[in-house]
Amino acid sequence: MVNERENVNILMVDDQPGKLLSYEAILGELGENLIKAHSAREALDLLLKNEIAVVLMDVSMPELDGFELADMIRQHPRFQETAIIFISAVHLSDLDRLKAYQRGAVDYISVPVVPELLRAKVSVFADLHRKTRQMEMLNRELRTLSTRLIATQDEERRRIARDLHDSVGQLVAALSMNNGLIQTDAQNLKPAASAALRHNVQLVDQLSREIRTISHLLHPPLLDEVGLLPAIRTFAEGFAERSKVQVAVEFAPDIGRLAPNVEISIFRIIQECLTNIYRHSESKTAGIKIWTSQDSLLTVEVRDEGKGMPVENQHSKFSTSGHGMGLSGMRERVRELGGKLEVHSNGKGTSVIAALPLVGAVSVGA
Amino acid sequence: MSARFLIVDDSELVRQGLRALLQHNPGWEVCGEAADGLAGVEMLKSVQPNIVILDFQMPGISGLETARRMTAIAPAVPIVMFTQHASAELEQHAREAGVRSVVSKTDAFAMIGIIETLLDKHEVR
Repeated sequence: MVNERENVNILMVDDQPGKLLSYEAILGELGENLIKAHSAREALDLLLKNEIAVVLMDVSMPELDGFELADMIRQHPRFQETAIIFISAVHLSDLDRLKAYQRGAVDYISVPVVPELLRAKVSVFADLHRKTRQMEMLNRELRTLSTRLIATQDEERRRIARDLHDSVGQLVAALSMNNGLIQTDAQNLKPAASAALRHNVQLVDQLSREIRTISHLLHPPLLDEVGLLPAIRTFAEGFAERSKVQVAVEFAPDIGRLAPNVEISIFRIIQECLTNIYRHSESKTAGIKIWTSQDSLLTVEVRDEGKGMPVENQHSKFSTSGHGMGLSGMRERVRELGGKLEVHSNGKGTSVIAALPLVGAVSVGA
Repeated sequence: MSARFLIVDDSELVRQGLRALLQHNPGWEVCGEAADGLAGVEMLKSVQPNIVILDFQMPGISGLETARRMTAIAPAVPIVMFTQHASAELEQHAREAGVRSVVSKTDAFAMIGIIETLLDKHEVR
């Protein structure tokens, strides 16, 4: 959070140096940075070089007048939000004022200027600019943070899956091999011991399945070694088995290995979508489709034939569904990769479509 | 029938278990153990096993890459992949990499049968 007040720039434009001096005297006590321009051209030049919060300008100036300058300022996308205040001794009809507001002016002040009023008006827009800038900064920080959070979560899941494989998984494998060794000599066992051995074999099998499911949900081992599509196919098979939701998988044949962060993101999006389908949609079917198009987009679609998603959830930026990161997490992943996420939902089903630019998504050296 | 095995697995526990399990069969001998794929490939050249038992997920090169390199060097030596991640999808990729058979680590007993079949079919030289 920014505690210290950052000064903003106020640009004052008038062809008469005396007026500029009087504005300077009036606005001086605001404590902001005051910049003087003696012509519209000089003002434009200064606007391009500085971030300006408020432009205070005279309407009648030789060469380019205030209205013309305002037109030029507004044409530039960077200055769409810059507050323009006109000051004029002439052109005081409603039509003149209208002309000013149509050019995006926030105020039209007539001469003689009341110092307190001018100061108050400029101060409001200076504060607004400062707050907007702070909000933009906080937004950027928030996005950086959420991107980092997603990456950390992926990394952590990968680590836990690896730990499970390396510790518990190997212990279970050792148990299974000991059982195997005893099974080789099973004919020498008494019936009760033989039954206990069979039971042990079953228990080891069950234990292993559970660890495997947890580890695969945390991080699919095929993803790193073989790639996205085999990992999705295996995940979809396991999901169909556990959830009794039929999953159809359809991939374009020309999709090779993608960059690791793209592969994990697409996998997580599909995982999240299938989890949502199972938990909320009441659909008996799900479809996963991945294809590439002429315009260098990689598109991933997950659809169901369920009861649809409440409208507020479709647009929500913050709702999450349980332990996953929900739609907001998906949006964040897609945004990070420079793509777009669309959700279409009605009473006949839901379709989540992520379109990602292929440039940068294809793995280098794969 | 006698057979010589090379075990490639990063877990010492698994290597120990496999050794005990395999050598419990008369005539079966573990002639080499390696803890990663690259060491396994090197050992394949020096110890000349009849059969390789290979892990899938290891540090360094993966089991699939190890299988590819081993098949290039000694195509006649069958490779049995012994993994916690047995699945139809992995099996397909493993076969493409030259693996003869994929066995789940939780079903070690099944591996004995698979090896016996390989020996019976005289696929092992």
